[in-house]
Amino acid sequence: MEQQINRTDDLNVLLSAYLPDRIRKAVKGIKDNYINGLEEIRIRSGLPLMGVFSGNDYFISEEGNLSQNRQSALNITAKEVNSLFLLLCEQSIYAYQEDIIRGFITLKGGHRAGICGTVVYEGDRIKAIKDISSVNIRFARQVKGCARDVFEKLIRNSQDIYNTLILSPPGCGKTTILRDLCRMISQGLDNGSFRGLRTAVIDERSELAASFRGVPQNDLGPRTDVLDGCRKSQGIEMVLRGMAPRVIIVDELGATGDADAIQMAWNAGVRIIATAHAFSFEDFKRRLGVGQLAAKDGFERIVLLGMDNGKRWTRVMSVNGSEYSSLVQDSGMPDGVYRVHSYRNEDVSKACRETACVIKTHRNPS
Amino acid sequence: MSVKLAERQRALSKLIEILLNLRNQICGLGVPLFSAFENIGNERISGIWSEIFLECGNAMKEQRIDAGEAWKMAIEKRGDSLPLDESDWQVLSDFGELLGKSGKENQESVLDLEKENLEMLEKKAREAMNTKGKLYRNLGVLSGAAAVILLI
Repeated sequence: MEQQINRTDDLNVLLSAYLPDRIRKAVKGIKDNYINGLEEIRIRSGLPLMGVFSGNDYFISEEGNLSQNRQSALNITAKEVNSLFLLLCEQSIYAYQEDIIRGFITLKGGHRAGICGTVVYEGDRIKAIKDISSVNIRFARQVKGCARDVFEKLIRNSQDIYNTLILSPPGCGKTTILRDLCRMISQGLDNGSFRGLRTAVIDERSELAASFRGVPQNDLGPRTDVLDGCRKSQGIEMVLRGMAPRVIIVDELGATGDADAIQMAWNAGVRIIATAHAFSFEDFKRRLGVGQLAAKDGFERIVLLGMDNGKRWTRVMSVNGSEYSSLVQDSGMPDGVYRVHSYRNEDVSKACRETACVIKTHRNPS
Repeated sequence: MSVKLAERQRALSKLIEILLNLRNQICGLGVPLFSAFENIGNERISGIWSEIFLECGNAMKEQRIDAGEAWKMAIEKRGDSLPLDESDWQVLSDFGELLGKSGKENQESVLDLEKENLEMLEKKAREAMNTKGKLYRNLGVLSGAAAVILLI
């Protein structure tokens, strides 16, 4: 119920602040039981208004009725897309210039509006995007508690954690897990087994904190400082000098210079929690530059995330391959909460292959 | 009359200062327009323009309108309190029309153009103050002297 109220509140903020009148009226007309599953609103010039509800696309009519038939849907005009774009930029395109070049604008509440149009280049650099043709408003959902079981495996002692690398292919929830880990590292655990640590987040793509006018829209914990929109290699050096963190959190390693910056943090005794795109630890090791961080004196814990038969799985390992645990969690539930189940399994590879079977076997251990 | 001419020149001169502040907020700091207008409105040095800029920022925020519309609404509502004449308003009525509608580089050019227009107005106001102002002052003195002679 609380989730429902929050979603409706979120939607009301979004509607009143950004959407042009006809689109606002249509979205407001969507029945309450569908609103909770609303993940995206897709607005395209000259095309019907579309919503993504729990992974499924539906056209939305002027009155807010959902249908697979585009004939009854509300058709969006180019003027409405332009007006929406200006509202998303708070009538100040220059203030969102950097975001626009990156292809999205972060909105109040941590939501995000992806944009498409005609790209203008200056040399090799994107200078602007003009003639905006599509806007995709994506609802952000922070899944608090989704990394709880992982976190317990990353605690060195009550005041320290292991340097940890989270690996997965795209779309498996690296950033969601990282965000929740950050919250717990900063906040500590209620049972006192871990005290919170000063944490700095280098949020290069504004995905972790989803800062809006400098204020993080996601809960990253009470001891967290966020350096928003800054390159990881520069940001790590900046926070080391200025903020004296115990832990630095970065998303998606891979750029030139990332490895050197992380080495610098390790030399200063600061722990690193990072993510990277990779299908396996071996895959990561082969990466030019950042691969060196997989050496013996590099990351101490590796968290692998994946999907199997529509179910998410998580493995926590040491760099030499010994397994700490295998966790299996259901994919996103309609109520936005991920249900996490924890296992100790000697034969993890088998467990990952037979995830569906594992869930059936262990959900009711009795 | 000469006081009004001096006030007009001061008002335009103040608006040029405000424009420099606005340029810094837009092109330097990337502050959204409604915030920049509110910041200017809240600064004491903005003097008689404070109310106009506050009104403008508020209209943009509350009514989701662009800077051009908000400016027109604000001067319609509070423009009478300013010591400007018709020719000034003709130039100033389009102020804000292009604000916020492009990237920083373009906004810089827009603000530079506005500044040039204002400097031209201010120059005219100063000339008017120097010539007509002196005339009005002399006329005042002469009228006073004439009245004294008549009374004697």
